[in-house]
Amino acid sequence: MYRLRFHGRGGQGARVASKVLGTAAFLDGYYAQDFPLYGAERRGAPVAASTRIAEDPIMERGVIPEPDIVIVMDETLLQDPLTMPLSGLKPGGIVIINTTNSPAEAKAEYKINANVLTLGITKIGLDMLGMPILSTLAGGVAARIVGLSEDSLTEAVKKVLSSIITDKKLLDKNVAAALYCFNAITPIETKIELKTIDTNKKKSTVISLPFEPAAVSSPAINATGNTPLRMTGNWRVFRPAWNYEACTRCMICVARCPDGCILINEDGYPYTDYDNCKGCLICVEECPTNTLGKVMEVHAKKVIGN
Amino acid sequence: MAGNGAIKRDGGKGVKDMVMERIKSIKDIPPEENMLPGTPTCAGCGGLLALRHCMKALGRKIVIVNAAGCFTLLTIYPYTPFKNSWLYTAMACAPAGAQGIRDALDILIKKGRLDPDENLKVVVLTGDGSAYDMSLSSTSGAINRNLDFYYICYDNEAYGNTGVQWSGATPFASKTGTTPPGMLSPIGAELAKKDLFAIWNSHKPPYLATISPAHPVDLINKFKKAEQYKGPKLFIALSPCPPGWGIDPSYTVKLAKLAVDTGVWALKEAVFGNLKHTVVPKRFKPVEEYLKVQGRFAHLFKPVRQEGALNKIQEGVDEYWNRHKLLL
Repeated sequence: MYRLRFHGRGGQGARVASKVLGTAAFLDGYYAQDFPLYGAERRGAPVAASTRIAEDPIMERGVIPEPDIVIVMDETLLQDPLTMPLSGLKPGGIVIINTTNSPAEAKAEYKINANVLTLGITKIGLDMLGMPILSTLAGGVAARIVGLSEDSLTEAVKKVLSSIITDKKLLDKNVAAALYCFNAITPIETKIELKTIDTNKKKSTVISLPFEPAAVSSPAINATGNTPLRMTGNWRVFRPAWNYEACTRCMICVARCPDGCILINEDGYPYTDYDNCKGCLICVEECPTNTLGKVMEVHAKKVIGN
Repeated sequence: MAGNGAIKRDGGKGVKDMVMERIKSIKDIPPEENMLPGTPTCAGCGGLLALRHCMKALGRKIVIVNAAGCFTLLTIYPYTPFKNSWLYTAMACAPAGAQGIRDALDILIKKGRLDPDENLKVVVLTGDGSAYDMSLSSTSGAINRNLDFYYICYDNEAYGNTGVQWSGATPFASKTGTTPPGMLSPIGAELAKKDLFAIWNSHKPPYLATISPAHPVDLINKFKKAEQYKGPKLFIALSPCPPGWGIDPSYTVKLAKLAVDTGVWALKEAVFGNLKHTVVPKRFKPVEEYLKVQGRFAHLFKPVRQEGALNKIQEGVDEYWNRHKLLL
């Protein structure tokens, strides 16, 4: 059985990617499961989704703790201690990373001890769909890795998306983008048997929940204003970039930022708090001069702390 | 007119004689941030922008009573964006929670255990699901009892936190998770948005206003004006919601402006029931401009143009402004 886990950010399409893959596998005659796992957060926050594919009925349920294949749809998640997308990856497993770096570079940079494949699907999404939504693209990549057919992928994209979008043109663009990604990636030989059905959890089925006193189980927050520690800056796809020659210090951007991420320096000029800016780009949209523009985040790691 | 110097009608007792400082432009907005970044709300959240300005106007000596909704996620253990205290309640009872806190503060002050200078403003913060639907009776009771509190409703016109389901605030013909346009109902939601302003205003509270994240000067001035009244001070903020309304996060403010410019969202205030419009567009834009940029109304234009529904929305807006004799 193939066990795949997609890691993305809310709004990128990890859930739909897992569904496209599961549907394509089903159309190819396999048994399939796909399901998302949400945290208590929103668009931009880490999201995981899973797909299981097998030749026989799948008896396993629930989250996949030990995946064969991990698809990382946002590179910055690799450094997120709360997400840990590579946790539980089986020895000899495959990691597909959405990055412009080569597999060797990504392997060295993130110290990954597994087979690594890379493809910059954000760029492909922006070029082919006009927006950084990666659901069908990641689905296409995964379909190639597990060896599904091109026809089933096309059918699956149409089937899944027709219940979400009504725009025929956008649907066709998605099919084209999925097939582009399907053909752009070279699969690695894998030793995963589609027939093997094993349960990877042989622990006790009873979960023990020890009783804690209220002071422990429902703790009070005694700190004030500590959310900046969360560093929501790694949510960005685009970053607002400043060109101060045109700035008139009108303060419109400061008044328009929902998160209060535009601060004022000693000379009265506004600047972005890149550690926390979520990249909504309202400031770019609202700036009456040409002071603010947008630049694609190639590598969030290099940007944070600038 | 209330708000210019001394107040005559105070709805009870103990109004401070204070001079209001109205601000004139965006440059006069207080620079202090009382809500810090790093919150888990979506990028481009219109409600968060409205709340950020509300927090600037309210200051730090407040306690927030938050009914379940998107904004309960602002404070997730062990993080909080606020510098003030915060209490979480169920969806139907935030004003009841506010009553408890208000009474506790009043008793502590009366007994001399709390310095009157340490007094806190009690602020209820809820979404539209709570304000329009579940806590309507609790709010009605609190206004009726003349509870001294603020109420901020961030109205994103659906249950956004649980995946955008229909709420009492959802406008006519909007697509939501529970009102998908389809064969039987090609227009989506068939019911009109509740007029919560009118419902609350029928209680004649000391201060009631609608606000918009795109008009921060108007927003802050309304809070300054409300400050002088003892009793319920209620605010409804139209909050464009990028995932729920199907818009790009960068378009939040533009859309909030369009809502005002097309007349869909009337910026108004009511002091003891006396209504006054604070921002009236010189020339109203057609409502279609507001609708066509939103994914939740896309089915009104494609694949078949729903002329009947579009006319009904425009007529509803025209009827409102005609009734108030403000349509030019």
